[in-house]
Amino acid sequence: MRTTRPRSGDRVRWWAYALLALAAFACLFPLYWMFIVATTDTATAIKLPPEIVPGGNFFHLAGLVFSTVPFVRSIVNSLVVAGTIGVGQAVLCALAGFAFAKMRFRGRDALFLFVVLTMTVPTQLAIVPQYMIISALNWVDTLQALIVPGLANAFGIFWMRQHISSAISDEILQAARIDGASTWQTFWHIAFPLVRPAAFVLGLLGFVTAWNDFLWPFVVLKSPEMYTVQIAIKALQNSFNIDLGLAMSGSFLATLPLLVLFVFVGRRMVAGIMNGAFKG
Amino acid sequence: MTTSISPTKAGLPPAPPVDAARRGFTEIIAPYAYITPFFVIFAVFGLIPLLFTFYVALFDWNPIGEHVFVGLDNFSGLLGDTRFWNAARNTVSIWLLSTVPQLLIALVLAHMLNHVRLRLAVFFRMTMLVPYITSVAATAIVFAQMFDRDYGLLNWLLSLMGFEHIDFNQSVMGSHVLIAVMVTWRWFGYTALLYLASLQAVPRAIYEAAAVDGAGGVRQFLHISLPALRPVIVFTIVTSTIGGLQIFTEPLLINRGTPNICGPIRQCQTLTLFLFEQGFTQFRFGYAAAIGVALFVMVVALAGLNYFLSTRIRPVKG
Amino acid sequence: MKFRNVSAVVLTVTAALGMAACSGSSSETSSGASAGSSFEFWSFTGIDAKGSAAEYKAKRPDVEIKLTEVGNAQETAQALTTALAGGKVPDLVLIQGDDLPKFVQQPQNFVDLRTLGADKIKGDYLDWVISQPTAKDGSIIGIPTDVGGMAIAYRADLFKKAGLPTDREEVAKLWPTWDAFIETGKKYTAATGKAFVDNAATSVYSQVVNQGEEKYYDPAGNLVYEQSPQVKAAFDQALKAVAAGITAKQSTFTEGWSAAMKKGDFAVIAAPVWMLGSIRDNAPDTKGEWDIATIPGGSGNWGGSFLAIPKGAKNPKAAWEYIAATQSPQGQLDHFAQARSLPATPSVYKDPKLTSAKDEFFSGASIGTIYTDSLLGLKPFLIGPDSTTIGTEFTNALTNVEQGKGDPAKAWDAAVTNIKAAIGG
Repeated sequence: MRTTRPRSGDRVRWWAYALLALAAFACLFPLYWMFIVATTDTATAIKLPPEIVPGGNFFHLAGLVFSTVPFVRSIVNSLVVAGTIGVGQAVLCALAGFAFAKMRFRGRDALFLFVVLTMTVPTQLAIVPQYMIISALNWVDTLQALIVPGLANAFGIFWMRQHISSAISDEILQAARIDGASTWQTFWHIAFPLVRPAAFVLGLLGFVTAWNDFLWPFVVLKSPEMYTVQIAIKALQNSFNIDLGLAMSGSFLATLPLLVLFVFVGRRMVAGIMNGAFKG
Repeated sequence: MTTSISPTKAGLPPAPPVDAARRGFTEIIAPYAYITPFFVIFAVFGLIPLLFTFYVALFDWNPIGEHVFVGLDNFSGLLGDTRFWNAARNTVSIWLLSTVPQLLIALVLAHMLNHVRLRLAVFFRMTMLVPYITSVAATAIVFAQMFDRDYGLLNWLLSLMGFEHIDFNQSVMGSHVLIAVMVTWRWFGYTALLYLASLQAVPRAIYEAAAVDGAGGVRQFLHISLPALRPVIVFTIVTSTIGGLQIFTEPLLINRGTPNICGPIRQCQTLTLFLFEQGFTQFRFGYAAAIGVALFVMVVALAGLNYFLSTRIRPVKG
Repeated sequence: MKFRNVSAVVLTVTAALGMAACSGSSSETSSGASAGSSFEFWSFTGIDAKGSAAEYKAKRPDVEIKLTEVGNAQETAQALTTALAGGKVPDLVLIQGDDLPKFVQQPQNFVDLRTLGADKIKGDYLDWVISQPTAKDGSIIGIPTDVGGMAIAYRADLFKKAGLPTDREEVAKLWPTWDAFIETGKKYTAATGKAFVDNAATSVYSQVVNQGEEKYYDPAGNLVYEQSPQVKAAFDQALKAVAAGITAKQSTFTEGWSAAMKKGDFAVIAAPVWMLGSIRDNAPDTKGEWDIATIPGGSGNWGGSFLAIPKGAKNPKAAWEYIAATQSPQGQLDHFAQARSLPATPSVYKDPKLTSAKDEFFSGASIGTIYTDSLLGLKPFLIGPDSTTIGTEFTNALTNVEQGKGDPAKAWDAAVTNIKAAIGG
């Protein structure tokens, strides 16, 4: 044992790197394996010893994915659903957070407590009546059945309220009011721009969650042209021909858009999660 | 819900003098208008269905036939239904297997990531979020293959090392472990980042002072890091309880030979999957609603208990 | 800057949604404006609904078919139930035989096809088949599309390696009974060290149980699964197969099953006629290595589907025209040539188009005669609303034993207990 201690300023020990590298490997390998199977022929997934380098069959399998289910359509559906939910949550949560942080109105604290409490209620267990309500609205097999319920996010409101409280001083808002700005203008031109990074990350998390959601779309969507990508890859598994290459190719294609997005916004996502997600 | 965010207003320059009475009214209702969307949506798609669940649970409710009031029969049926207790056992087992290792791994990794001089810090942090952005459906498909009894990567490695193949899909423990691995894989990085954020909030000087006093790494971790992390640990325990008790997609997708029950003797059917099976494949809406009520009670009770316990437990002074 | 544009879009979208929410019910009816010559058709995978639709379109270019392959048969039936509950239904839907009774019990959800002319054509179909979609009140809610005659598909090349005969006549003589089938399996496994048959639940239990005169219900519709000798015999036969160690323990339609088929890790699959397409799709490289022989016991039926028109259909007339055209004896015969689905119309069983049909994938086996022969002299049993559930519990109990997780001595009781829990009686 060496005598140096892992004080903040000390050199990082090799086993720290080893552990972190192991974790990184564990995080990336399943995706790499997905890619391998998605680029070689179907038999690769069951070949032992396994292939470890990608093959040249990617476009063939991808073509099969596109012809077996309406995959392009499902990606568009997912983009519409996740995009609207992401942006909608960012704006609606910022708005509500602004009201709770900076406006005075009757019942404010009680209402905010209520919002926080809803976070602990697992409402998706009420899936049977939820389906009935969607039926009654005639929304079965429509995208708004996914979008509208997804717009409410209690955690987002809580989060934006914290950010707005700490990032925006009352003086700025006072000044705006004196200049004659309406509440809406104060929010939209002053408050929102200041918390836009936080709202962006919130929207991003909303986007990812909506993109990956499974149970609710699985219950509500019926026809293939309404499928989101997650349901489309389940449908790929469904055919009598159980083709692992096909399923893996579909999974990979469904993950790819998020990976690309992640390359661009991953840093901000990490920072966002670390900055605001939890402040004891 | 759209009236409050009228787009025309946003584009206007600072308001010219308007008639005061009207402005006053708008200003009074403005905050309510801003929070209305949440409350409306939550009411329609959250609260009302939740209350309605309790109502439906009192019926023998065939969605394409009759609805017969049966009082508490669904609940007494549930208590005598071995499939329900089996699903409850599976759920708790999978939840424990996925939560405990996940939080421990996250704790260790957060501690590693907290070194000031760590190279590639951004790379490590970003990589750990990759599972989180991968969908559960894709995860289930790839893990089910890697863990396959006869043709899986892992069992091939095991056989190379001279071990017997493990039947992850069909055995009780194996299937629980498989699902737990998927859940852990998905969340440990995210949780580690939450922990790291809290660790970073601890002033460096405290660690340095402790080091000067002769406290080693482990002691620093136990007496400085851990107390600082307590609130966030409570938070992650509560959220992973709420999430863990509702695991659905993984067991739905890993055992395709026996859809909706995850194995011939329901060895990895979770409560949420049982709810889905009864509701949307057997179409016993009333019974499914009763399962929902039971699960609701469990989630609230366990989350509450967790919260209570983890706020009570304090690190030993020393 | 960029963000502002995005938010403008969102505001518009939100506003539009708000309006959609208000007008949701009214927009529903207007979308079917041009429905005169188009209809929506839900089918399941694996039965070549695309082919049928294309054949029909060739004859009726004026008709537009919006075909959806929802999933497997069970999932399609589930989707239909949620659709009936949710109000947005297709014009035409394919329902598998086992799923049918639940819908026949609620005939108010479907168009009584007698109002469209089913009375005139019902004589075209096998009696015991057309009786299935006939409700208590006499209404007919479905028209049969096919039946599921039974046979055994085997790998002639692997049989040869094991020193077994390969000719389909001789192979059939190897197993006049299921006991002989298991004995053959033992020989195969002893010679090759490999499994003989894919699994016991589907390839033994589900075959034997479909060869009797009484399955889970008696002719009056009473549950008799506990007492029915056929069910117990099928169950015990499957347990024997497991004990003999000749099964590959691969459940039908799973990844492992598909992989093992590709690799030749088992040599035999019980193949109701609808299974042939699945073998072809899952192991295309094994073309010409398969052959088909008569099933032990000679006859039986498993499967068969029905076309129905939900009550809320927008264009029941176009849907009916499709049924009338494609499910006539001639229509079913044409589809047999195309997709190997066995006609439910006995008048074509002697047609040369059927009797002379050979399948190259299965070494030129005369599939038309092999499968129709398996239907001759069949005394059908009643399928009831819980038949699927009961069957699933029995096969699950067997699979559990096969996987080495369950005690064979207790499997029957466990299955019966589970059935009682599942169907509440």
